[in-house]
Amino acid sequence: MTNHWIDLKNSDCIMAIGCNPAENHPISFKWIEAAVDRGAKLISVDPRYTRTASKANIYASIRPGTDIAFLGGLINYALTKDLIHKEYVRDYTNASFIVNEGFNFKEGMFDHWDDREKAYDVKAWTYSADDSGKALRDGTLKHPRCVFQLLKKHYSRYDVDTVVKVTGTNKFDYLRVAETFCGTGQPGKVGTILYAMGITQSTHGVQNVRAVAMLQMLLGNMGIAGGGVNALRGESNVQGSTDYGLLFHTLPGYLPSPEYKDETLETAIARYFPKTKESKSTNWWQNGGKYMVSLLKAWWGENATAENDFCYNYLPRRNGNHSYLQIIKKMIEGKLEGLVCMGMNPAVGGPDSLRAREGLGNLKWLVTADLWETETSIFWKRPGANPKDIRTEVFMLPAAASMEKEGSISNSGRWTQWRYTAVEPLGNAKSDLWILDQFHHHIKNLYKKESGIFPDPIVKLAWNYGTGHEPDVHKVAKEINGYFTRDTEIVDKDKTLEFKKGDQVPSFVQLQDDGSTVSGCWIYSGSYTSKGNMMARRDPNDLPNGLGMYPGWAWSWPVNRRILYNRASVDKTGKPFDPKRPVIAWNASEKKWEGDVPDGGAPPVEDEKGVYPFIMVPEGVGRLFALTMKDGPFPEHYEPIESPMKNPLSKVQSNPCAEVGTNVTCDLNRFPCIGTTYRMTEHWQAGAMTRSLPWLVELVPDMFVEISQALANEKDIRNGDRVTVVTERGSIEGFALVTFRMQPFVVNGVSIEQVGMPWHFGYAGLATGDSANVLTSGAQSPSSSIPEFKAFLCNIFKGGKGA
Amino acid sequence: MSTERDLSNQRTFLIDLTKCTGCRACQVACKQWNQMEAEKTSFFEGEGYQNPATLSEYTLTTIQFKDYFHEGKNEFSFYKAMCMHCNDPACVSVCPVSAFIKTPEGPVIYDTKRCIGCRFCMIACPFGIPRYQWSKALPLVVKCNGCYSRVKEGLKPACAKACPTAIEYGGRQEMIDEAKRRLAVNPGRYMNRIYGLEEAGGTSVLYLSAVPFDDIGFRNVTRRPLPSRTWAALRFVPTAFITMGGSLAFISWLTHRKEKIRREKEMKEVERASQKGDRS
Repeated sequence: MTNHWIDLKNSDCIMAIGCNPAENHPISFKWIEAAVDRGAKLISVDPRYTRTASKANIYASIRPGTDIAFLGGLINYALTKDLIHKEYVRDYTNASFIVNEGFNFKEGMFDHWDDREKAYDVKAWTYSADDSGKALRDGTLKHPRCVFQLLKKHYSRYDVDTVVKVTGTNKFDYLRVAETFCGTGQPGKVGTILYAMGITQSTHGVQNVRAVAMLQMLLGNMGIAGGGVNALRGESNVQGSTDYGLLFHTLPGYLPSPEYKDETLETAIARYFPKTKESKSTNWWQNGGKYMVSLLKAWWGENATAENDFCYNYLPRRNGNHSYLQIIKKMIEGKLEGLVCMGMNPAVGGPDSLRAREGLGNLKWLVTADLWETETSIFWKRPGANPKDIRTEVFMLPAAASMEKEGSISNSGRWTQWRYTAVEPLGNAKSDLWILDQFHHHIKNLYKKESGIFPDPIVKLAWNYGTGHEPDVHKVAKEINGYFTRDTEIVDKDKTLEFKKGDQVPSFVQLQDDGSTVSGCWIYSGSYTSKGNMMARRDPNDLPNGLGMYPGWAWSWPVNRRILYNRASVDKTGKPFDPKRPVIAWNASEKKWEGDVPDGGAPPVEDEKGVYPFIMVPEGVGRLFALTMKDGPFPEHYEPIESPMKNPLSKVQSNPCAEVGTNVTCDLNRFPCIGTTYRMTEHWQAGAMTRSLPWLVELVPDMFVEISQALANEKDIRNGDRVTVVTERGSIEGFALVTFRMQPFVVNGVSIEQVGMPWHFGYAGLATGDSANVLTSGAQSPSSSIPEFKAFLCNIFKGGKGA
Repeated sequence: MSTERDLSNQRTFLIDLTKCTGCRACQVACKQWNQMEAEKTSFFEGEGYQNPATLSEYTLTTIQFKDYFHEGKNEFSFYKAMCMHCNDPACVSVCPVSAFIKTPEGPVIYDTKRCIGCRFCMIACPFGIPRYQWSKALPLVVKCNGCYSRVKEGLKPACAKACPTAIEYGGRQEMIDEAKRRLAVNPGRYMNRIYGLEEAGGTSVLYLSAVPFDDIGFRNVTRRPLPSRTWAALRFVPTAFITMGGSLAFISWLTHRKEKIRREKEMKEVERASQKGDRS
């Protein structure tokens, strides 16, 4: 989230698209309803009428996988009806930048497509620049090659009639959404967009998110209290996992994970952290090298020196894509020897899960760490498998639950809150930290004893977390914050700051690239300082602005900033666009900012030393036109890989850059319905944590499938009947829930039915049932590698699989 | 009789169904605090995601789902069914062994040691709340006791504590004022009615709703306090019935008493045995 949970109360209009907060983020509704009580409007955009929809002022149905059409239509509506926040768009986005001739869009394709590589030459899309390399601009936004005009042209094709033909939304409902949400473009009005997996789990998922961000920039809703682009994260600490480099292409703190060609630290830094030519741009990533070196120092300690490139060569340098699906594919092909699953259940959670379950049998060994037996840990005795045929050695490590261990947890709003051990773990259950510490000791000893091809990265790891039975979690947290490795003096403006060896770093501003600082995750620098553990703070007092920021409660990355890009909440003189909801304001007489921690301390843009608000991009302004997106600078509607119709917007059916996989089809004779998956309040993810709790099992005991009355009539299915759902990947069985909340979509004049189902079930635990992911495909987004769980083709029949 | 007492400070639930998201945290929190067994359910036992179907000896509160289409629009509504904790509870007045008590704090509680399982309360309750332990050889009556053990300590009931959105808990007058304020500020959002304000003479559970109360499972009950009526009714019941009822009640009381003594004895033996085990 660019904003945070409590901030939802400040909004005038909350659009939940591709998320279902009432069911999947129930506590968020406390703040959503606080906004609604003030008169805010709640919009729910969802293929199904959900518990969120039941609370919404406006419900708009949407065919799964057509979000860009929906959002593109809103962009067009805002532009043509002149509802955008003009000053904001002109000054704080790249609307005025002139784009070079390398960019063009024709019949569904951008220029510079390489058909052999199935990829665009992304570098061809750049700004026109003057001799010094500075981008050319036209402040009037009239130049035919300026971003604003190109944007207008691109989305002029997304008129309301075309859009609803694609999305299947009722036109009246769509117009109400457009009028209401685009109404927040006025200064003094603010709207927020909440999204989750309905937006991201698509072959154009990243472009969906881009479309959300673009709409918010056009309406001037970024950086504002009650605004923002707000991803509702699917697990309580999934924000923390990505912050700490869970994904294959990032290191902790979103530092890029180097590729094979990045041979030295110097070249990697030059490639990933370029300097900017824009005079008023902070370009914060130019400091990336300092964070990289501080991270290497955290990992290899005294062994990392300037002479040996701070052990840069110990980092694995990747060659290509190593995302989840690629790991599973390798496993299926028998090219993976072992797999460690910690709180991960690929037998239920991943797409095309029958294949994944078979693949687990190709492993030599499998380690699972979980609270209960999961489908993954008992894959060898799953229904239909013969344990005798499976040679995989499986180790099940009992793990401690969150309330059984101490540590931090980062919520969607980037608040990191310290938690204490409430109860001791049951039996032999151990914390993840203990388990990883044991891995470390044993693997290090093995390498010391038996050497190996390249033992140094393991043998020389710094591991200073105490000598107790369990590693000291405070020592881990202190290392993440960072400390000085020697006595250091830092000149900061007019004063000199002195630090002693071992002192905690006050914030990432002090991190250095000379080896004098250590930091395990730069964005968390400031979370555990010489003043103590900031994450454990519990001061219930708000700021005078009353916006619910509670700066003394826990700690928020970065530098305890509660709303990201908050410099965009003020005009060029530093005056809040919305005086009723001032996130920050420039106090001209004292020459300082008041309110939230500003995005950089520089004065307002107009000041001689002032800087633009979007400090993380080299331009300093928000990107309506994106330079580095693999699948195009503007989001363009493409159909999901399995789609019931021809793309009405262009001849290009689906994202040309997407990885499709093999077992997909658009055969409507065999699979005439749209299938989609989702979660419910009562169960959690792959179900390992909830399907063994009797009180939750009582509420939702069985796998079920939601269908409309019309589809039920057509197939002679009654509520509570057993039914079978089939796709190209497999078939599953469940109870039919016939409900008015499911309605067919009328797209392009044809009625298409949808079949909805939760993906919580599997064969382990107390409540068992077939897994929806047996049905889903491994088609994935080119930018994020996320699978397209939300939209596929299926058929449904009365009776169980035996029938 | 209710008019004479000052009920303004009685602990009262204000359940605003326009804010209820049907998350059922209340249902689970109730089972957790009261350590109630989970019921064995299959698929869904009512509309929407309803489970279990109704209140039972294992379930003191449920969210009742309604899932229907009305005038071209979906309705997906959630009604929290629970004991209404009447100001003048019929159950208290009809209980032959005075097991039920209306506490000064508000909750209507009952003493399981006194209960003889006669089920008069079940017949008398206008909201159909008390349930019978059909699974037991010698059943008693079960109902929500408003988490009296928590309320006595100044805590909210478990369901109110767990609810993220819909339940306010406080003095009855304060809750009535709040309900009226919401109706006044946002008349378009609500039916112009506070269910429980006058029903059965007034209750310690008040509801606000966006849809007609009758449509989502609320009972239409009299606005008069019930004890006067139950008493009036009982006067005209033939003597034979009362005598029979009375004797049955007596027999029931005796068997329950015997059962209780037997169980206590057993428990003591188990304790003794385990103590011995510890020593060896």
